[in-house]
Amino acid sequence: MSEYLLEISHVSKYFQGLVAINDLSMKVKKGQIYGIIGPNGAGKTTLFNCITGIYRPEIGQILWKGKDIKGISPHKIAELGILRTFQTIRLFSEMSVAENIMSGRHIKSKQRWYNGVIPTPAYYKDEKANWKKVGELMDFFHLSEFATTPAGDLSYGIQRRIEMARALAAEPELLILDEPAAGLNEHETLELTQTIRKIQAMGVTIMMIEHDMEMVMSLCEYITVINFGAKISEGVPSFIQDDPVVIEAYIGSDEDDDNE
Amino acid sequence: MMNKTSLIAIALLVFMGFFPLFVDSAWLAVGTTFLVFAVVALSQDIILGRAGVFHMGHALFFGLGAYTTAILNVNFGLPILATWVPAVLVPMLVAFIMVAPIIHLRGDYLLVATIGFNIIFIQVLENDVFGLTGGPNGLFGIDVVRVLGYDFSSQTHMYYMAFILLGITLFIMRNLDKSKFGRAMFYIHKDEIAAQSMGINVRYFKLYAFILGAGIAGAAGSMFSVQYSAVSPEAFNVTQSIMFFTIVLVGGSASLPGVLIGTFIMFVLPEMFREFETARYLVFGIAMILTMILRPRGIWPVRFGNIPDFLKKGVK
Ligand SMILES: Nc1ncnc2c1ncn2[C@@H]1O[C@H](COP(=O)(O)OP(=O)(O)O)[C@@H](O)[C@H]1O
Ligand SMILES: [Mg+2]
Repeated sequence: MSEYLLEISHVSKYFQGLVAINDLSMKVKKGQIYGIIGPNGAGKTTLFNCITGIYRPEIGQILWKGKDIKGISPHKIAELGILRTFQTIRLFSEMSVAENIMSGRHIKSKQRWYNGVIPTPAYYKDEKANWKKVGELMDFFHLSEFATTPAGDLSYGIQRRIEMARALAAEPELLILDEPAAGLNEHETLELTQTIRKIQAMGVTIMMIEHDMEMVMSLCEYITVINFGAKISEGVPSFIQDDPVVIEAYIGSDEDDDNE
Repeated sequence: MMNKTSLIAIALLVFMGFFPLFVDSAWLAVGTTFLVFAVVALSQDIILGRAGVFHMGHALFFGLGAYTTAILNVNFGLPILATWVPAVLVPMLVAFIMVAPIIHLRGDYLLVATIGFNIIFIQVLENDVFGLTGGPNGLFGIDVVRVLGYDFSSQTHMYYMAFILLGITLFIMRNLDKSKFGRAMFYIHKDEIAAQSMGINVRYFKLYAFILGAGIAGAAGSMFSVQYSAVSPEAFNVTQSIMFFTIVLVGGSASLPGVLIGTFIMFVLPEMFREFETARYLVFGIAMILTMILRPRGIWPVRFGNIPDFLKKGVK
């Protein structure tokens, strides 16, 4: 087995005529916080959708611990330990915060097919353990006071926290965050930065797309820059910051950080 | 600790338990029909209200249960008791075979496909395809339930058997809602992509909903055939399916009290206004439309947030 948890090798994804991802390669080490940046429409979210099985790339390989997972369905990707959040928040908005986070326990739950109809002692034990875990995550993300509140009634910043708690509830090995700071205020962004550090300390590998450069540069150990679906640069933050190719791409694209 | 909803539920159960002591046989029959149709509506609600699948062919599963009992009893002489298990298993099996190939279809396409299956089912019954269904007239002379030489043949017996069936159904649905399975259905219903990304196998849980719903509807069908000691195709046509679909939406998707209220409005109220003849259906049509406009989530909408008490201690 290689030292890399995730290896993306020469991946291309087309939409009709459009090349959304063009021959992209990158390698993520275990325990890393890996950043992906680039102007809007560069193909960042599409890359995450390819990793998580929402899209199947036409060309290339996506290796998870050395095994190709390209084209595997999303629920199996999650079972492998790859969990994500969404750029446009996707919560079960009518359901309570606790129930939302409980969805992350789905793959960890040991309930058998007949437990949908009849409870057994093992069912009660499993159910209780999973709710307990939900309680721990609500504490960690300061969500306990909203346990019974419908997720859709809460503010943007809180909803982002619920999404992370939900993904973390599945005890992922790789956590994929798509613009976790989008829509957050300064204070919330600071809090998020600390939270991400804590998650890393738990041993979770993190991949994130983010426009907040301060946050990316302080958190990420390695960064890939994408433009028009292709990699234009990669390296450690200090290198990326001064790379003329990157600066060029950002100036040339009328980058607007306030996209919804 | 007891909340308001459980108190209402207990009061209702007690009332329904003593109902046969106060009413004449005509009303007893209405009561039995309410119980049986409530079971069918609840089973429709597993598929429509929980998994969120637009299924408009539920009378098919109800009818399969009814015909399984009728055919095994009338054509093959099996006692009713012996037909109960097949009346549940046959609809479950058919649900699997029928739905597995179309389960991936988008809501509106799947809706049309399920209507199609219901129409084919009626055609099969009417044309007496295997010489078993009795054609358009159906089958008559279905036996009563006999256990150890004792006949459960009165209307009161029928009522209490249906009452027990409703009790079992409510027990199952409560367990479903408190399990990984019921929750998975809700997650799929609310956001399929998010559900998949949390590791939920959408296809599996939609099929689970269909198979469970079909089995329960089959049990209700078996009881229905014994209550009337006859079955005929028109009791299971698309119009009936539309009724079950409507009950769920009018009453409140995924809400146990809602579906019971919906069943009451659609099947019991019309009996109360018999003297108004067909005009009463006009009233119900209007009531359906008004509910959708004024209470689009149903008369008694589902309430989420049923979580263990120890998680509520931080709630202000
Ligand atoms: N499902 C899709 N169908 C067609 N085009 C898409 C689809 N998803 C993304 N695209 C296109 O792919 C390109 C990359 O989009 P995206 O990955 O969302 O960019 P980013 O996340 O970097 O802002 C855009 O031009 C976008 O319009
Ligand atoms: Mg994006």
